[in-house]
Amino acid sequence: MFSVKPMKPTFKSYLPPLQTELKQIPQPPIKKLEARLLPGEIVVNEVSFVRKCIGADSSHGDLWGKLICTNFKVSFITHDALPMQRFQVANRLLGEHDVPLACVEQVVTVNDAKGKQKVLCSNQKLKFNPTELILYCKDFRIIRFRFDEAGPQSAKKVCLAIAHYSQPADPQLLFGFEYVGKQYYGSLGERVNGVDPGGGLQMPLFDRPSEWDREIKRTGAAEWRVCSINEGYVVSPSLPEYFVVPVSLADQDLKQYLCFFTAHRIPLWCWNHPNGSALVRMASISDPLQQRKLDQRICSAITKSHPQRSDVLKSDLDKNLPNIQDIQAAFVKVRQICVIEPFEESEEKWLSSMESSRWLEYVRAFLKHSAEVVYLLEGKHVSVILQEEEDRDLSCVVSSLVQLMLDPHFRSLTGFQSLVQKEWVMAGHRFLDRCNHLKKNDKEESPLFQLFLDCVWQIINQYPAAFEFTETYLTVLSDSMWIPVFSTFLFNCPQQRTENSMDFAQSKCISVGEEKALRFPPVWDWSQQFTPKDQALFNNPMYVGKGATCVQNGAVKSFRRTKKNYSSTLRGMPSSLRNILMDGHDSLTLTRRNSLVSRLKPDFSQIREVVESPTERFFRDWVSRPADLQGMLIPQLLPSHLALWRLYFLRWVPEASIPKGGPVTAYHKLSQLADEVEKLQSQLRQYKGATPASTPTSNAPPSDHSRMYFKAGSTHEPSSTPEYLSSSFPFSPVGNMCRRSILGTPLSKFLNGAKIWLSTETLANEAL
Amino acid sequence: MENTGSIDSLGSKRSSSRQPSVDSLSSTSTSRSDWSTHAAKPTFAMSSDNVSISTEFSPELRGRPKAVAKVLRDSKEEPQLLPKESVQDMAKDVTYICPYIGALRGTLTVTNYRLFFKCMDREPAFVLDLPLGVVSRVEKIGGASSRGEVSYGLVCKDIRNLRFAHKQMEDSLRKSIFEILMKFAFPVSNGLTIFAFEYGQVYPENGWKVYDAQVEYKRQGLPNESWRITKVNDHYELCDTYPSTLVVPVNIPDEELKRVAAFRAKGRIPVLSWIHPESQATVIRCSQPMVGVNGKRSKDDEKYLQTIMDANAQSHKLFIFDARPSVNAAANKMKGGGYESEDAYQNAELVFLDIHNIHVMRESLRKLKEVVYPNIKESHWFSNLESTHWLEHIKLILAGALRIADKVESGKTSVVVHCSDGWDRTVQLTSLAMLMLDGHYRTIRGFQVLLEKEWLSFGHRFQLRIGHGDKNHTDADRSPVFLQFIDCVWQMTRQFLAAFEFNEYFLITILDHLYSCLFGTFMCNSEQQRVKEELPKKTVSLWAYINSQPEEFTNPLYVNYSNHVLFPVVSMRHLELWVGYYIRWNPRMRPQEPVHQRYKELLAKRAELQKRVEELQREVNNRSASSSSERAGSPTRSITPVQTFV
Repeated sequence: MFSVKPMKPTFKSYLPPLQTELKQIPQPPIKKLEARLLPGEIVVNEVSFVRKCIGADSSHGDLWGKLICTNFKVSFITHDALPMQRFQVANRLLGEHDVPLACVEQVVTVNDAKGKQKVLCSNQKLKFNPTELILYCKDFRIIRFRFDEAGPQSAKKVCLAIAHYSQPADPQLLFGFEYVGKQYYGSLGERVNGVDPGGGLQMPLFDRPSEWDREIKRTGAAEWRVCSINEGYVVSPSLPEYFVVPVSLADQDLKQYLCFFTAHRIPLWCWNHPNGSALVRMASISDPLQQRKLDQRICSAITKSHPQRSDVLKSDLDKNLPNIQDIQAAFVKVRQICVIEPFEESEEKWLSSMESSRWLEYVRAFLKHSAEVVYLLEGKHVSVILQEEEDRDLSCVVSSLVQLMLDPHFRSLTGFQSLVQKEWVMAGHRFLDRCNHLKKNDKEESPLFQLFLDCVWQIINQYPAAFEFTETYLTVLSDSMWIPVFSTFLFNCPQQRTENSMDFAQSKCISVGEEKALRFPPVWDWSQQFTPKDQALFNNPMYVGKGATCVQNGAVKSFRRTKKNYSSTLRGMPSSLRNILMDGHDSLTLTRRNSLVSRLKPDFSQIREVVESPTERFFRDWVSRPADLQGMLIPQLLPSHLALWRLYFLRWVPEASIPKGGPVTAYHKLSQLADEVEKLQSQLRQYKGATPASTPTSNAPPSDHSRMYFKAGSTHEPSSTPEYLSSSFPFSPVGNMCRRSILGTPLSKFLNGAKIWLSTETLANEAL
Repeated sequence: MENTGSIDSLGSKRSSSRQPSVDSLSSTSTSRSDWSTHAAKPTFAMSSDNVSISTEFSPELRGRPKAVAKVLRDSKEEPQLLPKESVQDMAKDVTYICPYIGALRGTLTVTNYRLFFKCMDREPAFVLDLPLGVVSRVEKIGGASSRGEVSYGLVCKDIRNLRFAHKQMEDSLRKSIFEILMKFAFPVSNGLTIFAFEYGQVYPENGWKVYDAQVEYKRQGLPNESWRITKVNDHYELCDTYPSTLVVPVNIPDEELKRVAAFRAKGRIPVLSWIHPESQATVIRCSQPMVGVNGKRSKDDEKYLQTIMDANAQSHKLFIFDARPSVNAAANKMKGGGYESEDAYQNAELVFLDIHNIHVMRESLRKLKEVVYPNIKESHWFSNLESTHWLEHIKLILAGALRIADKVESGKTSVVVHCSDGWDRTVQLTSLAMLMLDGHYRTIRGFQVLLEKEWLSFGHRFQLRIGHGDKNHTDADRSPVFLQFIDCVWQMTRQFLAAFEFNEYFLITILDHLYSCLFGTFMCNSEQQRVKEELPKKTVSLWAYINSQPEEFTNPLYVNYSNHVLFPVVSMRHLELWVGYYIRWNPRMRPQEPVHQRYKELLAKRAELQKRVEELQREVNNRSASSSSERAGSPTRSITPVQTFV
């Protein structure tokens, strides 16, 4: 209908006809651009003719479309296609260019004509019309929009709306509440959509006594029992309703001890070693007068629960590990050097910048401390108590790492998820505060869970066949923290979820039936976010596992070591409590000696006898043997063996992306081969299943349930690497990392000096 | 079975790794497992890698053949000897002061090839076994100590130091075993022959035939209408450090080549190293022009480079990459050298790549050794590593090679590469660029050809840079130029896991035999010298050994993608210290190639399943053929035939 022929000058007029009408018609297409909304999602503000920046230095390749702020996300809708071929795994809850509001870390508006810029916070005013909006995201993306052709007022409104809605004042304003209310509960309180959030999962969430019972049986923790004194959260708001305690401690005893522990957090059982040693976590004892007595009671109870009545050692995490502020500071710095600083300029001092961020140092500290606990449990056959002031942060990391190293079950996908559920969600890790979803208190923000994932990645990196899942899985899991609809990451503890959702249900007149609370879906139902095909990206083709660990008679069979030596090892050990603080420095005896190399003569003469600590000896012994991937795994802890998790930290950085390279090239090849093996196996089953009379149907479709993302077959030995494979796979830097300079100043300079990135304070308040 | 001594447990590992058991998955058994099959051959030419320090030190045990293992299991204290290897001295009650596990008392044996120390007191027994070729210097430390002991420090070329002590000789006339050791560690300085000239092992293949210049140039499509093969250097008259076979522009007669040679340092004229199969853009290597302080010019040289540019119709430009920092290049004018001025060379663009000289590199490696051996400090790892500048140098070399490859591939432009003499930085650059551009060089044999061609035939001075058998450890000509190149290759393999046919072990083996003096490959400084010394006749080539068991060195993930040019990301964000090489002596380090191992297992599993499926298919077909005639076709085979790497 708009096929406009250039009109020829007619006989009547020698002037060309006016074409003003045509010129007024804007360039963008006429087709309607509408936001795709989830249940409970509403559009707050929108602005058209917005340009999303793609290229770093020119507007070439930029996309035109509409920018929308909803109560869930910042959405950019366009009909334009990205200029470069790319691959990015799609999220079912989000469009290609969408960013959940919970993922927005900082909103920066710019007016380049006036030379002004401002970091927008909730309920702020903006005195200029923005020409540009930059979103700094918690998943490290930096996304930019230009408003050159957009209505200035609407642009401003959208910016303010994004700033406002990305900082909800109350947990119940987090989108998850509306979403879960609408998605799963009809107005009459009936369940809708036929979905029971989390109900179909084949994994324990540890919100029921039976699931704890099974875990007790699985680990052979015969002398431990499920305790339900916290049902209805009556004794401690931050503890789960059900947890596990030594059999010898009666409910009455526990109730008596409760008040002496910080936040009433009495010792919680985490896990049992097949040799009977237990891993326990607890808060500090708040009353110093009771300290000694209580310590003794607890320890003797744990000793009684040990088949060999082994000692109990206590590990004080607060004393030996960085605190949450240290970790946050390190994370901010590593993010700074990975994504904010100009690529080339930061190259020169890259290594020392990495070091000064201290991130890897902390990763290593946690791995090392956990490995030392592993030594106590496995090598010394003693039970270990992890003690932390509140038992809700550092102990989550350490207890989960210890279990990952010792129990192959947790290296399977469902095992890992149940571990996070058990040691993080149920144990009351303050996800709401640590993620700073409400952006209320920056001091509480700390990436402990990311730190944990990085530690897991380090082990995966060293033992790539030991885990059922991939680094893509870990990355996607981390990204899910910023999609505020999952029970997993929304709350500080189970009690908070119950309380808030009861309130919400009441205020919205949602009838929740007998449960009294909304059931939020856990993140573990991955079909919420990804297609089955994309979920195959989680599967590690190299995994050497039996699916689930073989459990017989309550014991994990896959442990390699025998238990016959207990008694001899234990003889002569005092059974009284020994409060050993692991100082984490014992290896220094080995490494602080002078190096042998530099100036030959003095150094050669300085060599002293090497004294190796028992821990060191234990690690070295273990390293000298081939690793049993279904047994204990200890990460290599030399500083040189820890690496930057490149997929996580550098996936959006275009300069760091290796075209047709990176670990994915091996993954590609391995997946195809693993898929081929799977196909052969199913073919074999077919033949075996076939009765003698019937031949297998030759055209039987190969099973679609392949675990592998890359399939064997048609693309056998392709002539070239698939173009979309890069070291960022399955993510893409295109359009996700726009660090173009502002007003001629490199972005980093602009942000430098101020509390970069994290600060929501106004930078250079509206003036450059 | 597990605790019966180093060798026993090795044996047990081997046997367990034969069947794909869980145990072997991520262990070093990748390389260990297949060794047993070669037990009959004295393949432990592997040796320098073999410097085993007990089971805990698994990397060194890699590749120890069973034959040796057996001898040791019989608790003998001396090593099994190679052909022509003979024990020179043996001393009991020598103390080896291990930086990791302390003082160990045992028996030290010195042969004309190796140092062998065994301590039987420990369970498992402790073994140290290294070729004398890796020893760079032996120092007697101090006089008699209070305990009446003298001690000796051995500085090794493979990033470690060893220290021994033994009682003062009562009979002062008797020589210490370390004096014997020094004699055989430095045969060149002591008028003895290097062991490579004695070792006469016969392998199925003559490794000296791996590279034939004519064949390689033919593979590149040479000669063609623009390039010819000249015999002008047949007797090394034009340039004694160049190979006899050279590729030069068709239009330049040999007489003119001689005039060009007069203008290039050491007569190393620009010659073709590689030609792009499609664009005809070329990689040319040479030495610096003899410009001098007065800015001397050579019409012949200018015409020559113009001809090189003209040979590539795609581009009207020529890039000259001078590997040096511009300051150094300018400083060379004082010594008569220099660089091409853009006035004299029309259409040429000169680029300096800022790579430092051999002395800077030597110093950098020295610092690196300080940082990584024997132990890594718990703190400040990254800044200590940074202070060595090692990775920075690696980065500059790779970045230079990347620019060259990019100009040739994307810019379709010919490039000329030189430094001062064109045998250190130049060869690093050209060979890395060729590795990026040409997938052939990324195969096991192709890589051998690349080394033979770019490094050996074009006169990288291995003898001088490594100092085989020479006690003069302070020689300023020594430098880890080749090690840097191999490090760069390793960095590339880390970014492109499926692009190389060889594995990490292949690279480590090459480096180990760079020093071992067991093979003739890295002897001498030039092709002329090798011919003169009759190396192919008198020594065994490393490639003979490697090609006798390629499976050891094969990367199972390798895919031979056609026309796959590699553009690595040359950034500190991706470069890593090669821990598998530099930190391998540390017992806390677990060498690993689990990805490869797992892949091999999957291949084996696939082969087995395919076999079973085919059997069943056959059975089914037979049955259906006999029972009914309705079904004509057999079940289609969806699986392609096995092609196995194992």
